[in-house]
Amino acid sequence: MRIELLYYPECPSHERTLELIREALALEGKQAEICVIRIDTQEQADAHRFIGSPTIRINGHELQPQPHLPYRLTCRAFLHEDGRISPIPSLTMLREALRTAEGG
Amino acid sequence: MEIGQSAYDFELPGVDGKRYSLKDFADKPVLVLFFWCNHCPYVKAYEDRVIQLAREFSDRVAFVAINSNDPTQYPEDSFENMKKRAEEKGYPFPYLFDETQAVARAYKASRTPEFFVFDEERDLKYHGRFDDNWEHPEQVRHEYVRDAIRSLLEGDIPHVSQVPPIGCTIKWKH
Repeated sequence: MRIELLYYPECPSHERTLELIREALALEGKQAEICVIRIDTQEQADAHRFIGSPTIRINGHELQPQPHLPYRLTCRAFLHEDGRISPIPSLTMLREALRTAEGG
Repeated sequence: MEIGQSAYDFELPGVDGKRYSLKDFADKPVLVLFFWCNHCPYVKAYEDRVIQLAREFSDRVAFVAINSNDPTQYPEDSFENMKKRAEEKGYPFPYLFDETQAVARAYKASRTPEFFVFDEERDLKYHGRFDDNWEHPEQVRHEYVRDAIRSLLEGDIPHVSQVPPIGCTIKWKH
């Protein structure tokens, strides 16, 4: 399994997100190559189809894609299962995504 | 902006159709001015907490939200969308649009959300984040803005005067 974590360093969400990804992997008993990709410029955001930080792709599938949003350098939001809007994904969302990922 | 400095005056349009400057809040002994926007998830994480605090202290504290983001890059932060958000959430405070970004620059604001708490003389007494846990409201240990308000209403100086703000960067015009 390959997980990409794309982040914009001016947004403070990525470190906690990386912790959550590792926690979710441990809880699910899965291993993955985690590729952390820093996005600094609009050109990089366009090239990586980056709608905000953090963006997580598991085997190429984006967690909670929001195709209506433009590619840009900012923080992004995640809608949690309890209806809360947060700058980071929930552990539950990550575990569910790991379970359903192909090759997991 | 440094602790102890006086609040910069402004004249900005609010989502309620009125224009606001510092004198409009002169009847309150404490002023909480904060940089805000629609799109930032950290603002959304704090939204209900800020609304609750503003309602709790509505008789003695003026809360004023200012959006300085460039809406051409971030259309969610346009004046029209500000009106929608304020109505949806029932903001109990004015929500002002700093289209030229001059107010954000005067206050040297860099993030949303970012809070500035002023005393009765409108000298800055607290600057920074709202509390110490954006992720879990139930695990907050230090409510910096609330504590600053309480101290000022009791005639004291806040124990904590600065904590770096956490959130999205203000989206400057190119």
